Amino acid sequence: MILTDELVISGQEISFWFGEGELRKQILFEVDLQIQGGEIVLLTGPSGSGKTTLLTLIAGLRTMQSGSLRVLGMQLSGASSSLLTQLRRRIGFIFQAHNLLPYLSALQNVQLMFELHPDVSAVEGRQRATEMLERVGLGHRKDYAVSRLSGGQRQRVAIARALVTKPELVLADEPTAALDGTSGREVVNLLRSLAVDQGSPILMVTHDARVLDIADRIMEMQDGRVGAPTH
Amino acid sequence: MSQKIRLSWLQLSHEKAKLFAAIAGVMVSVVLMWMQLGLMNALFSSAVMFHDRLSADLVVVHSQYESILRSRSFSARLLYRLRGSEFVEDVVPVYIGTTDWKNPSTGGRKSIQVYGIETQKLTLSALGVNEHRQGLREEDTFLFDRLARPGFGEVPQFIADGQEPEVEINRRRMRAIGVTELGSSFGVDGNVITSEANFLRLFSQRRSGVIDLGLISLSEGAEPAVVRPQLQAALGKEVQVLTREEFRSLEIDYWQKATPIGVIFSAGTVVGFFIGFIVVYQILYTDVTNHLPQFATMKAMGFSGRYLVRVVLGQSFWLAVLGYVPGTIVAGLLYSGLKAATQLPLELSLLRGVALALATLFMCAMSGLLAIRKLSSADPADVF
Ligand SMILES: Nc1ncnc2c1ncn2[C@@H]1O[C@H](COP(=O)(O)OP(=O)(O)OP(=O)(O)O)[C@@H](O)[C@H]1O
Ligand SMILES: [Mg+2]
Repeated sequence: MILTDELVISGQEISFWFGEGELRKQILFEVDLQIQGGEIVLLTGPSGSGKTTLLTLIAGLRTMQSGSLRVLGMQLSGASSSLLTQLRRRIGFIFQAHNLLPYLSALQNVQLMFELHPDVSAVEGRQRATEMLERVGLGHRKDYAVSRLSGGQRQRVAIARALVTKPELVLADEPTAALDGTSGREVVNLLRSLAVDQGSPILMVTHDARVLDIADRIMEMQDGRVGAPTH
Repeated sequence: MSQKIRLSWLQLSHEKAKLFAAIAGVMVSVVLMWMQLGLMNALFSSAVMFHDRLSADLVVVHSQYESILRSRSFSARLLYRLRGSEFVEDVVPVYIGTTDWKNPSTGGRKSIQVYGIETQKLTLSALGVNEHRQGLREEDTFLFDRLARPGFGEVPQFIADGQEPEVEINRRRMRAIGVTELGSSFGVDGNVITSEANFLRLFSQRRSGVIDLGLISLSEGAEPAVVRPQLQAALGKEVQVLTREEFRSLEIDYWQKATPIGVIFSAGTVVGFFIGFIVVYQILYTDVTNHLPQFATMKAMGFSGRYLVRVVLGQSFWLAVLGYVPGTIVAGLLYSGLKAATQLPLELSLLRGVALALATLFMCAMSGLLAIRKLSSADPADVF
C-alpha cells in the first residue's frame, strides 16, 4: 500500500487536445482532480464530455500535453513509455468490454496477470487466481472457456483479473454498460467490496444512474471541465 | 519463457483448422527443401562413386580431361616414367570404355561403362574387388554393378544363387563372377569392373598402353599436395596430376556446368522456403489481426511490446517444430522409396538436417517478425 496521506491521483490544470493544426480540438480544459487512498470516486457526465480521455491520461495510455498529473507518486508529464508501462502494472483495469483472451480459460485469464509479477511463484499465482475467482462467485466455472460464460460472468472474471495482483489503484470505464440491471448491480457491488477489502481506491467512469450509490464521491464532467464535487 | 510458449501454443491451437493448415504449409516446405537438396546432392555424388572408391594418392589424366565419361587417352609410358621417383611406390593404369551389353533374359541392348583395372593391387576399394582377385585373373571374367539401373537382366540374382551367368558384352561372351557397387549416374546406367587384360580383349580396337587414368600410390610419408608439382614437372604438359579431391571436384564441376541441375534444385529449394514463409506469414498475420483487441488490452494492462513479440515468435517456434519433424519423416519415407526405385544415394544427412532445421526456424521467425509489425497498430489507448 502507498502512504495513506499521499494522494493516489493528483492532477492540476490538465488540458488535452486531439488532432493537429486546423483540426486541433481541445477536449480537456484545465482539469483539477485529487483522489485519496481507499477512496471510491465515480466520474459521470454526458457523452463526449471527456471522461474516457481523462481516464486514459491517468492510466498513462496517452501522453500528457499540458498541466501536471501525479499517479501513484509518479509524475506523468514527460514520463518515458517504459516508466508508463511500469506504472500500469500497478493499476487494475476494467474495461467496458471484458477483453478477456478467448483462447484461455477463466482461471488462465486471471493467472496471466502474474506474468507481470515475476516475484509471485506459479503455484502461488494459481492459488491466488483460484481464490479470486471463488470470491467473484465463479469457483465452479474456473476452467470454463471464456466463450461458455455469460456476459455478467465474463465481467466478473475481468474484475478478478483486475484485482488479483492487489493493484494500488483500480480504473474502470463503464464496466456495467454491456450488462443488464441486475448483473450490473452485482458486478459493481463485487468490485466495491473487493476493493474495500484490499484498500484499493477506485476511479470509475459510469453513465449508470443505478450504481451511483456505491461512491464515496461523484465527480461531474461537462464539456471537458470537472464541476464542483457532489456527495 | 515457458509461460509465453504456453500462451503462444494456446493462441495457436485455439483454432484447429488454422493450426493444421499452418503445420501442413511448413511440412510441404520442409519436404520440398529436403527433396531438392537431397536429389541435387545425390545426383552429384552419384557421379563420383568411382572416384570415391579409388585408393590412389594422386591421379593422372590427360591435360584436356573433362569427365570420366569424356576422358582422353594418353600413353602409359608417361606414367611408368614415375616409377623412378623416390616418392612413388607404384603406378597403375586404368582403361575406361563404353560398350553394348546384351540383356541375357530379353536380348535387349544397353550401354554399359567398363573399367579395366589392375585388380591384383589395392587400387579400388569397391565391393567384391578384393574377394575376386583370383577370379578376375581368368579370361573373360568381370564383376557386375548391382546398383545398375534396371534393364541389364537378372545377373545379380543369378550370382546370389551361386551361379556365374554368361553375358554378351560387345559381342563377346563374358562371365559374371561377382557383384560390385558403383551405381548409376549421368549417362551411366551400369558399370563393369574387369582386369586390364580382359578389357583389352573386350575392346579389340583399344591398344595396350593407351590408358585413360593413371593411379599413383605414394611412398610412406610423401604428401600428395607437396610432391604433386614435382611429378607434374616430370610428366610435362600432355597430362595433369591431380590429388584425389581435385579429381573428384573436377567431376562435380563438370556436371554442374554441363547440366542445369545445380540451378534447378537450388531454385526448387528457395521455392520450398518461400512456400513455408508465405503460409506462416499469412496465418500469423491473420492471427495477430484477429487478436489485436486482446493484444491492445494486454499492452494497456502493462504487458511490454517485447512480451507480445515473444508470444508471436513462440507461435513461429511451434510451427517450425511441428512442421519440421513430420516433414523430415515424410522426406525420409520418400527418400527410401526413391532410393529403391533409382538407386540414387539419398540420405537424411545430419548436417543437412541441422541446416534445414535452422532454415525452418529462420523462415518461421521471419514470417512472425513480419506479422508482428501489425502489432504496433494495437493502440492500448483505444481499449477504453
Ligand atoms: N482518438 C480520438 N481522436 C480524436 N478525437 C477523439 C478521440 N477520442 C475521443 N475523441 C473526442 O474527444 C471527445 C471526448 O471523448 P471521450 O471518449 O473522452 O468522451 P466520454 O466522456 O468518454 O464519452 P462517452 O460517455 O460517450 O464514452 C469526444 O468529442 C470525442 O469525439
Ligand atoms: Mg467514454
